Amino acid sequence: MAEIDDRLTRCFASVFPALSANELPNASVETVPDWDSLAAVTLVAVIEQEFDIQIDLMELPELTSYAAARNYLLKQTKP
Amino acid sequence: MNLIEALERSKNPVAGDAKPFRVFLACGFTPLHLQTFLLAHLRQIFPESRIEMKTGLYGDLAGTLDRRDPMASDVLVVPIEWADLDSRLGIRILGGWQVSDLPEILASVDRQLARLQRALKSSAQSAPVVISLPTLPLPPLFYTPPDVSGAEKTQLLSSLARFAASLSSEHGIRILDSQALDLLSPMSGRLDIKSEVLTGFPYKLPFASTLAQSLASLVQTRAPKKGLITDLDDTLWAGILGEVGVDGVSWTLDHHSHMHGLYQQFLRSLASAGVLVGVASKNDLALVQEAFHRKDLLLKKDSVFPFEVNWHRKSESVQRILKAWNIGPEAVIFVDDSAMEAAEVKTAFPDMECLVFKKDDYQAVWDLLVHLRASFGKNAISKEDSIRLDSLRNAKPLLDASVQDGAASDDFLQRADSFISFDFTKKSKDGRAFELVNKTNQFNLNGKRYTESEWRKFLADPATFLVTASYQDKYGPLGKIAVLLGKVEDQKIHLHSWVMSCRAFSRRIEHHSLKKLFEKFDADEIAFNFESTQRNGPLQEFFTELIGEAPQSDMHLSRTVFLKKVPPLFHRVEETEDGRN
Repeated sequence: MAEIDDRLTRCFASVFPALSANELPNASVETVPDWDSLAAVTLVAVIEQEFDIQIDLMELPELTSYAAARNYLLKQTKP
Repeated sequence: MNLIEALERSKNPVAGDAKPFRVFLACGFTPLHLQTFLLAHLRQIFPESRIEMKTGLYGDLAGTLDRRDPMASDVLVVPIEWADLDSRLGIRILGGWQVSDLPEILASVDRQLARLQRALKSSAQSAPVVISLPTLPLPPLFYTPPDVSGAEKTQLLSSLARFAASLSSEHGIRILDSQALDLLSPMSGRLDIKSEVLTGFPYKLPFASTLAQSLASLVQTRAPKKGLITDLDDTLWAGILGEVGVDGVSWTLDHHSHMHGLYQQFLRSLASAGVLVGVASKNDLALVQEAFHRKDLLLKKDSVFPFEVNWHRKSESVQRILKAWNIGPEAVIFVDDSAMEAAEVKTAFPDMECLVFKKDDYQAVWDLLVHLRASFGKNAISKEDSIRLDSLRNAKPLLDASVQDGAASDDFLQRADSFISFDFTKKSKDGRAFELVNKTNQFNLNGKRYTESEWRKFLADPATFLVTASYQDKYGPLGKIAVLLGKVEDQKIHLHSWVMSCRAFSRRIEHHSLKKLFEKFDADEIAFNFESTQRNGPLQEFFTELIGEAPQSDMHLSRTVFLKKVPPLFHRVEETEDGRN
């Protein structure tokens, strides 16, 4: 789980470099002004490449925060 | 490079005083990750610059090019895709793929190509343009099976080829070679249908990185290597000359030594493009001379200078060749079949690239030729390329005179029947002047290099001047060998850049260049923007000899002092400007 957190944090940090390490776990569409449609597409592409997964189109509207992305990844990696 | 690395790299801070480098990415699709990758690769290539990137409007490549402020970017990068030529060649617009639509699609492509051609040629007047032709597979719109190249598809490719041919000869335009891209990335790994449909970004991420890297590489102005030094036995030909004799060495299919023939043919091609080719061989000189009389040898004796054939260490021969060429080891590649010889030369010249000719490995020889072409390749062949070897060979009497007397004697120079043509025309398209300023190291006022847009901007300033000097004497022409760039204010010349080819040393062309500047601008003084570099020792020696002290960073030279110190000049001189004497 710690490994997922490290990699997800790196994904978020690369897309939102203005956020500090403490702010990243609480990042969401509401709290990050830079989180626009372009950033959302980039974030999904970065997560897909980092975790070698394809994110389901139906899930896209739900991935609006660090916590949501983390939950999604945990579900994906469940046996 | 993956996307996360590209994002990290593109967002790394740069120094506050970093020079801006303005890139305009003009594409018809959503630039998205291509922009990120391009930025990251450019930052890797230009670590000292602050890359500023702008993009155009989605779906309107031609309009973007037409509306762009030509002075607002230092380079224009244009990845063209099929949908830019007609939206029906993409998949986001449902415009019709009926058989009856095809003639109109082809006609529309021709019209759009003509419009893009005009816009790109016009853009290249103000900044260099880097283009990639459509990289993605065509959609299945033709009625023929995908593995059949039908009439319409062939016609489409033919239109594109004509468009590329027309642009490729244009100064300031560089087109990414499709075959080079194919080698790096298979067609099947390029198109991301989901991303194209959902976001308008058509590339798979690995391909976006590859394409961005290739485009970024073309943005860079690369100085090609200047000379190649080759071994003979088991390299230029198969066999040991001293053992099998002149008739025993071979380079043909029937002797299973064809790759040596290919290497000879390649070296001749390099020589014909102005690359210096020399020989360093531990061999018997008489035998080598006889071998070079063989009519079937593909690399002719005339294409090689000098021959260093002896039994000494290879590095000693290489040292003499560098002296004859008057260039540094970093501009030269050494090729030998012996790894030990290559290592010995590398030890003596760490800056020289030393390669092993693996005579029994066909693929390795092929890879070597491709690598050599990459190292020596240039965008165009100049007049100077065609006379470089002869001018060096003809300079031998002058070099000998210099060695004997310490400097070429007045008597020798007087009888050289020399002629200098100074051209004061400010031609921003003078590729040779631009090349000289950007590659000359030894006689260089300060080592300053110019990007193509800086060059154009400097020349666009009415207060500036550009002088080029061409030289010839009874030993032959040297071509355009010196460039002076500067400004004139109140009878004072500010010399920003001054370079002279190393082939032109010892002829007092540098003295006459200063004399000409004083006369032309009726100036009392020249202020030199001098900076000491690791390589400009010859220029520093010139100043030290002329004014009696080492040059300083803000040095000035008055006309009075110059006229007192200048040695006798024997050249006939011609001055031209805008084609008039």
